[in-house]
Amino acid sequence: MSSQTATTAISPREKYYFLARRLHSLTGLMFSGFVCFHLLINATVLTGGESFQFCVEKIHILEHMGILVPVEMATIFFPIAFHALFGIVILLTSQSNMKDYPYGGNIRYTLQRLSAVVILVFLTMHIWHMHWLGKPFGGAQFDPANATSTAAAAMQSWSLWAPIYAIGVAATVFHLANGIWTALITWGVTIGPRSQRVAGYCCVALGAVLFVAGLGAVRGFMTYSVADGNETAAVEQVEESGH
Amino acid sequence: MSKRVKVNIKRQDSPDSGSYWQTFELPVEDGMNVTTILLRIAATPTTTDGEKVAPVAYDACCLEEVCGACSMRINGKVRQACSALVENLLKEQPEITLEPMTKFPNVRDLVVDRRRIFESLKRVKAWAPIDGYTPRGEPDRMSPSDQEDAYPLSRCMSCGCCMEACPQFNDKDDFIGPHAVSQAILFNTLPAGKPLESERLDALAEAGGIAACGNAQNCVKVCPKDIPLTVSIAKAGRATTIHSIKRFLAR
Amino acid sequence: MAEKDVIVVGGGLAGLACAMNLAADGTHVHLVSLVPVKRSHSVCAQGGINAVNEVTRAEGDSEYLHLDDTVYGGDFLQHQPPVKEMCDRAPGIIDLMDRLGVTFNRTPEGFRDQRRFGGTLFKRTAFAGATTGQQLIYALDEQVRRWEAEGNITKYEYHDFLSPILNDNGVCRGAVIQDLFTMEIKSIPAGAVVLATGGNGLVFGRSTMSTICTGSASARAFRHGVRYANGEFMQVHPTAIPGTDKLRLMSESARGEGGRVWVPKTAQDSRDPKDIPASERYYFLEERYPKYGNLVPRDIATREIFDVCVNQGLSVEQGRLCVYLDVTELPPTTQQKLDGILEIYEKFQGVNPRVVPMKIFPAIHYSMGGLWADYVKNQKTGGLVEKAPKNHMTNVTGLYAIGEADYQYHGANRLGANSLLSCIFTGLFVAPCVASHIAATAEAVPSSLVDAAKKKETERHNAVAKMNGSENPRTLHDELGDTMTRNVTVVRKNKALAETVAKIGELRERYKNVGSPDGGGWTNQSVTFVRALDDMITMAEVIAQGALMRDECRGAHFKPDFLIEAPDSDDPATLRQQAVEWCKKFKAKNDKWLKSTIADYNGGDVQFSYEDVDTTLVPPRPRTYGLKGAEIIEEVWREQFSEKSPVGAV
Ligand SMILES: Cc1cc2nc3c(=O)[nH]c(=O)nc-3n(C[C@H](O)[C@H](O)[C@H](O)COP(=O)(O)OP(=O)(O)OC[C@H]3O[C@@H](n4cnc5c(N)ncnc54)[C@H](O)[C@@H]3O)c2cc1C
Ligand code: HEM
Ligand code: SF4
Ligand code: SF4
Ligand code: FES
Repeated sequence: MSSQTATTAISPREKYYFLARRLHSLTGLMFSGFVCFHLLINATVLTGGESFQFCVEKIHILEHMGILVPVEMATIFFPIAFHALFGIVILLTSQSNMKDYPYGGNIRYTLQRLSAVVILVFLTMHIWHMHWLGKPFGGAQFDPANATSTAAAAMQSWSLWAPIYAIGVAATVFHLANGIWTALITWGVTIGPRSQRVAGYCCVALGAVLFVAGLGAVRGFMTYSVADGNETAAVEQVEESGH
Repeated sequence: MSKRVKVNIKRQDSPDSGSYWQTFELPVEDGMNVTTILLRIAATPTTTDGEKVAPVAYDACCLEEVCGACSMRINGKVRQACSALVENLLKEQPEITLEPMTKFPNVRDLVVDRRRIFESLKRVKAWAPIDGYTPRGEPDRMSPSDQEDAYPLSRCMSCGCCMEACPQFNDKDDFIGPHAVSQAILFNTLPAGKPLESERLDALAEAGGIAACGNAQNCVKVCPKDIPLTVSIAKAGRATTIHSIKRFLAR
Repeated sequence: MAEKDVIVVGGGLAGLACAMNLAADGTHVHLVSLVPVKRSHSVCAQGGINAVNEVTRAEGDSEYLHLDDTVYGGDFLQHQPPVKEMCDRAPGIIDLMDRLGVTFNRTPEGFRDQRRFGGTLFKRTAFAGATTGQQLIYALDEQVRRWEAEGNITKYEYHDFLSPILNDNGVCRGAVIQDLFTMEIKSIPAGAVVLATGGNGLVFGRSTMSTICTGSASARAFRHGVRYANGEFMQVHPTAIPGTDKLRLMSESARGEGGRVWVPKTAQDSRDPKDIPASERYYFLEERYPKYGNLVPRDIATREIFDVCVNQGLSVEQGRLCVYLDVTELPPTTQQKLDGILEIYEKFQGVNPRVVPMKIFPAIHYSMGGLWADYVKNQKTGGLVEKAPKNHMTNVTGLYAIGEADYQYHGANRLGANSLLSCIFTGLFVAPCVASHIAATAEAVPSSLVDAAKKKETERHNAVAKMNGSENPRTLHDELGDTMTRNVTVVRKNKALAETVAKIGELRERYKNVGSPDGGGWTNQSVTFVRALDDMITMAEVIAQGALMRDECRGAHFKPDFLIEAPDSDDPATLRQQAVEWCKKFKAKNDKWLKSTIADYNGGDVQFSYEDVDTTLVPPRPRTYGLKGAEIIEEVWREQFSEKSPVGAV
């Protein structure tokens, strides 16, 4: 017997839903990688303006090669744009019931969605605030050439930036850590309850490290004395003496 | 004097009428469960206000938690009415509340229309596609460990608790629900179900399939039969991804 | 072509097996059930399903011995050809269920595991954890869903069977059913109707059965002229957990796996059961029945528990009758096999039976009797003629009865794990018989007939919905259940039975003054219940009257006033003489009573008659479990009284 259950024409939603969900997960993971990198680099500010500038310049080598923008677009911007947009679609299908079922997993599920909304807002502000994409809108206060001081100046330009960044970092780190934990289930890496528990501990540890790093960076930029001067020169000095 | 219990019940006269609450009070009996409460109310349906009302409509059949008929929200949490003992419920809160499940269309009072559960099972073709029913001798042996893996899944009684508690199972999405994912995995592991393995994975890869799960893991917490739903979900996640990639490459 | 369709009423094992087999052969089936079929009462079965298998064969077992155990256990009150056919096909049925994906327990090597059940010395029972019935029905439910997806089956779940549609010649041409959500009444024409509507335990108020087991469908068929047979034979299960809404079963498998039944030797010993030393425990089944021990057939176990509690006053508790069923001494691996049933106890009693012995007492469990159904004997094999339209047809042409709803297979007492078998067997076996019947009927079902039947049932429904007397239907049901449980279960006495019959008459009168508490027109469960109450009263009449009239002891029907005194002399010669006397009396009793009771509705005036039983394959012999002079009786019977077993049958 063949199983010809009455099948109606498959809508695009039908056809691409699974793919989209998998891409959503994948882009989430990609962006998580970036965020880890981003937060850890930012934290280098704690060891002084020079090391942060140094890292920024290493990244901006890509710019000299003329591929920074394409690389940024392909590995960061488009993925997160997709993740965010499709994330909103997913958000619309969920119906939280944390009050009736206050189980750990359910609380995390709800926080994952809540943090997503926070991130959406925060990320928009952050991009306007720091990224060159914000330039047309009067933002983009960060200049890679004078990374530490411009970032610090930007952070110190409004008294609410520090708490906003702290909240943004907290939401992002939670979303990332919990996201990795769920992604491991989504892809069928952790299957049994025990492996899922162990993965949970690992994600908590990762989240803790990133959270400390993120808050450290915020503190670093807030306490960095903008007047202190020219970190680019300092880096050059360091590099020279290093040779 | 014997102890009495107050029961607040959310009622609704027909699918499209509004809901309202009524309170009943009755003596607690030894070993009393929620189905007994409903049975007593059916015998003398009088509210605490002394008003004679229509008996509360409800679903029940086996009364021993194997048929799946009597799922409802008890003290806000979905579970089986027949195995919910009054004694334990009163430890949760001083009065008992009974409400119909919210994820399925209401029929009347505590009765809901759960046809969607069975439609999901159709979607994942949860059956063994054997040739016919004439004798064909003894099928292959099965190891005890395979049996031990499969048996817990085969106890799913389609009660709907996991769907009621799942934040992804609602009208906004046509999610098949954790039980159907688990049944698909069951039949994909049973030798008898193997021939339809790839069709089941196709079904799981459709909209409303496995991808709709958001990993809240409420399902496994509320399942009265302790079915390892999240294990099935993770297995389904893996199998469906591999299957989809293979299918893509084979084109 | 409605006349080629079949209506199957009931989605338990029997109904589903029948529907799936019909659908596989291309017949369109309308499947009607009170509840979604997956929730049918069959899910409650825990213990297992019987069939001869390689392991028991190696120990000398055979299909013939399965037949022998079944009819001996049933005190020879069943026609033997259908039983033979069932036992012959049992191994194939287990294989089929295995192919359908039933997760039967396995031996380390991967074969199906088997356990021993009551009434046999062989390990014939295959099982899937402690939820065998659930696993079996799910496998069939899945097949039915498969055929539903193919369009061969249309399901009517939450529908109540109201009546068969009979034409002027009394031939069944369809059924009237009611949607229990909308209360809409529908009339479906068909070539045949199969009733697979299960048992009627609710007549006794509380039992081990599900809430839907009211016998309503059988009663409705009965009122339309279908005969009802052996109604008085109701099995009482020895071990149930007393509860407020249900007497939950503690499966025989608890004893099958080594659970032991006992009471403290001191009445109502207040010590913790664990502190009572073995020497102060009375393992009464083991002491009285050394051969079968705790695994004596159900009727015997029931009676002994009853005797120990009521006559000897050794009940564990003062206010409530119960004995201990003890699995605490079993090894953990064995306890694990019983997890499913032990969980039930723990869940509903709040006590862990792995450490504390369970308290149990007998409860109504199974209806051996049921709608009368025909069979066509195969003269060559002694079994049945395949595909004969008359197999399982009731006395109404085109109306069939299968599963627990029919009266074949279990005689006066059913063996454990034989019912799941009889349900699946009848479902599968009847399908081609029904198909032959509809193949032979070409005549279309006139729409006037269909409409008239619908009109009649609509009127009846409206009349019931309007009942607004002062009697509370639930109270009537409680009274009915109490009387039936007190007087018509374990021990039956004519005086009490006569009172019961009178009481039922009184209830019948009071029923006319019932008030249906719900005026609503949507999902009106009260009307459904009030109608079923009428049916239960009808069933009660058949059961109680049948019991009153049958003056003998047979299987589950135990009337101590008609017990033949067992030989008890210590002097061998006298003992032998007593045994001869015993056998003579037994023979006389059999001549008179080895007959099925047949009830006929006859427009409300229920009439009883008796039908001879076909015992051509296994000649009747005394059932002597536990009788003092058992051996000598058997010897005397063999030498002087027994008919020779026909050669062909062995
Ligand atoms: C607790 C328990 C344990 C048991 N354990 C075992 C065991 O281990 N081994 C064994 O062999 N047997 C066992 N039995 C017996 C066995 O389970 C039953 O005899 C068997 O399941 C009956 O199946 P069935 O298909 O005849 O009917 P059921 O499963 O009772 O189904 C009846 C069907 O008819 C429908 N129906 C009834 N009335 C109407 C109506 N008016 N209109 C429409 N539909 C209607 C119902 O909806 C249902 O679908 C057990 C029984 C009990 C109570
Ligand atoms: C911009 C706004 C964002 C939105 C609206 C959003 C939305 C979501 C949603 C709704 C989910 C849950 C999906 C599911 O479990 O099915 C999710 C998962 C995830 N998100 Fe985001 N997210 C955003 C930003 C981010 C960021 C910044 C990161 C990286 C730090 C990230 C990483 C992840 C990861 C790894 C997952 C897990 C995917 C999975 O379970 O397979 N997301 N996101
Ligand atoms: S998986 Fe559990 S909760 Fe869900 S339907 Fe099955 S038994 Fe009910
Ligand atoms: S794990 Fe998936 S299926 Fe289970 S409750 Fe959460 S979202 Fe629903
Ligand atoms: S009545 Fe069957 S599960 Fe509660």
